[in-house]
Amino acid sequence: MLLALALASIPLWAPRFWIYIATQALIFAIFAMSLDLLVGYAGLPSFGHAAFYGVGAYACALLALGHVDGLVPLLLAGMLGAGAAALPIGALSLRTSGIYFLMLTLAFAQMLWGLAVNWTSLTRGTDGLIGIPRPALPGLDTLNVSLYDRGPFFFLCLLVAIAVFVVLESLVRSPFGKTLEGIRENDRRMRALGFPTFRYRLAAFVLAGMVAGIAGSLAAMSNGFATPDLLYWTVSGLALIAVVVGGTRSFIGPALGAFLVLFAQLGLSTYIDRWELALGALFIAFVLFLPRGLVGLVRRA
Amino acid sequence: MEVTVTDLTVRFGAVAVLDDVDLEIASGERRALIGPNGAGKTTLLNVIAGELRPAQGSVRLGTRDATTLPPWKRARLGLGRTFQRSTLFGQLTVAENVALAVRARIRGSWRFWPGGQHPVREEVGKRLEAAALAHLANRRAANIGHGEQRMLELELALAASPSVLLLDEPMAGLSGAERQSVLNRLLTLPRQVTIVIVEHDLDAVFAIAERVSVLDHGVKIADGGPAAVRADPRVQEAYIGAF
Amino acid sequence: MDVLNLAHGSFYMIGAYTAYTVVMATQNFWLALLVAPVLLAVIGAALEMVFFRRLYRHGHLPQVLMTFGFTLVFVDLIRSRFGPTTRAIPPPPGLGGAVHLATATFSSYSLFVLGIAIVIGALLVIGWRLTRLGVVLRAGVSDKEMAGLLGIDLPRTFTFTFAFGAALAGLAGVIAAPEFAIYPGMDANVLILALVVVVIGGLGSIEGALLGAAVIGLGYVIGSTLFPQFAIGLIFALMAAVLIIRPSGLLGRRS
Repeated sequence: MLLALALASIPLWAPRFWIYIATQALIFAIFAMSLDLLVGYAGLPSFGHAAFYGVGAYACALLALGHVDGLVPLLLAGMLGAGAAALPIGALSLRTSGIYFLMLTLAFAQMLWGLAVNWTSLTRGTDGLIGIPRPALPGLDTLNVSLYDRGPFFFLCLLVAIAVFVVLESLVRSPFGKTLEGIRENDRRMRALGFPTFRYRLAAFVLAGMVAGIAGSLAAMSNGFATPDLLYWTVSGLALIAVVVGGTRSFIGPALGAFLVLFAQLGLSTYIDRWELALGALFIAFVLFLPRGLVGLVRRA
Repeated sequence: MEVTVTDLTVRFGAVAVLDDVDLEIASGERRALIGPNGAGKTTLLNVIAGELRPAQGSVRLGTRDATTLPPWKRARLGLGRTFQRSTLFGQLTVAENVALAVRARIRGSWRFWPGGQHPVREEVGKRLEAAALAHLANRRAANIGHGEQRMLELELALAASPSVLLLDEPMAGLSGAERQSVLNRLLTLPRQVTIVIVEHDLDAVFAIAERVSVLDHGVKIADGGPAAVRADPRVQEAYIGAF
Repeated sequence: MDVLNLAHGSFYMIGAYTAYTVVMATQNFWLALLVAPVLLAVIGAALEMVFFRRLYRHGHLPQVLMTFGFTLVFVDLIRSRFGPTTRAIPPPPGLGGAVHLATATFSSYSLFVLGIAIVIGALLVIGWRLTRLGVVLRAGVSDKEMAGLLGIDLPRTFTFTFAFGAALAGLAGVIAAPEFAIYPGMDANVLILALVVVVIGGLGSIEGALLGAAVIGLGYVIGSTLFPQFAIGLIFALMAAVLIIRPSGLLGRRS
């Protein structure tokens, strides 16, 4: 609650640039939370989650460029587009497990990246789709509130992030969430109890993909463009780092992790020429010294 | 529910782990499977439960041919089992472990919101009382004692209210008092539940079982009442050969 | 070894850049073929001993993330030393020409690559099947405790294997250098292809990896000829097909 309030006050005092950064961090936090549903709760270490982030962004962008105006349809487009991509990818990848699953999700995501680069008639290749309009807010325009202003757009992202947080938190406390945890702990036993475990995993995979798609839609609106970079494997890697740095099996951890990763990236790139190198080194150090993440550190203390 | 196994052969590579085994277990019967280590007892349970596909032969549950059904479908037909090594949900609490089994039975797992779980919690409470595990309800399953884990293991299978119960060495590694409580729990099960038990503790076997089947090197060498099986020279030979 | 090393593509990239450096300095391709594997064996061994060893018991995820960190480090190091532009080196002297076989024409360098690949593949299969190291590795992967009980020095075996794998990746990088573009980012491309090859062939099977590579190579060539824009798509369609029919790969052990 406090955190939400503190975040909500950002547009009141922060410089414009920082509002923009905080917006990006919120979007990334939504993405990281969706990934933790897989990694932490379902025990499915996906290294291809950026695929659904990217597909969501492209779906939203194509619709917005096709003159669809309206926040809900655009967010839905990202969500359903990503879900539609997650279904076949999940159905294939989930036939395997562990390290194999990780490799497959990575490979499929890179295939979609290749598709985004090569399918120029739809995606305009590496140039990407540009000039994506943000939706109008019927009723609020008269009050001079527009999503083109940073403050309102930030609030939109904050609202969506909180909604996603609440939905995911209750999801993992629900019978479905507990079933996922049971499957993570012991798939064989779950099958012996009568659970078709594959279906539950696939449902989790598609749900996580849909939430990532929402984040992708917001990213497309925020940036005003959608490029293949959104699907690149380093994006999946960054999200996984955010999840692990923050700590799995909680949603607040990955959200904080997302902020940290984004700020680390920003801070390093501002002050150091070879910032990717420094970022990589930072990640290595983190994994070596804090394999359980920040939440693990807090839990131990 | 009846369990009928016909002409069952299972091969690992070139080795026949089970060779042309037949079993006919009546509804409500308490059947023990015994035999020296490596006789194929656990393999037979795994085939009945659906985790292994036989090279040959069939498995029927009740009137239904279950030979090609996956484990979870057999569980829905009313088959429950325990495992030789405790296979619990280690990071979940004892209560959550049992709740999973209860929801498996009532098919209550496609709910995406918490709440409305009162009946499940109530049943879980009762079951933990019955298994003398109530005081551990909120402990993680990985952090309770071995004997308690074995009781929980049994309780998970029972919570699904199976009509056929496969038990794979439920007494393994338990103290005398713990064995007695497992035994008592088994003896209080409703009469219509079919039990197939694999166990090395022959006292327990003869306390529960009405009929005993003996496996040796993948072949069924004897089948009958406890007294008859005990007296069978081939059984004595197999056991002497093994120990 | 049951380790997923995303930096394996980086090893390949470093191999290619080593070839570039050596050839530019000495004009000697054969020297590069010698230097790169040695250099990468050293890098691999060092990484294994300092970093990977601490993480085996933590499961796959930390391992993978750490290697992800390494890919960022390596690609940036390469970029800082060589810049973002694409480099190329000529084929070694004597292999720049073309060879006519029946009605087809091949570059002699391609034939050379084919020859080397066959030799290395054969040596790997023989090593995996017959040498003590191969036996130890197969044992180590399936049961670490058992291997330890049998008195096998697993840490040293793992270091050696890791270094050997890195050296092979470096060697592949050198061999690829005259044929393909050398640029930062080549690591990701080759890594993904390698993953697909391993998935198709079956994890934990050298023969499977070889078969997978052959399938992918053929698939890629056929795909590029028929519909160039989506050659990659065909490869992934192949992978999907294999997964549906045999989830553990063509020659993978069934779990």
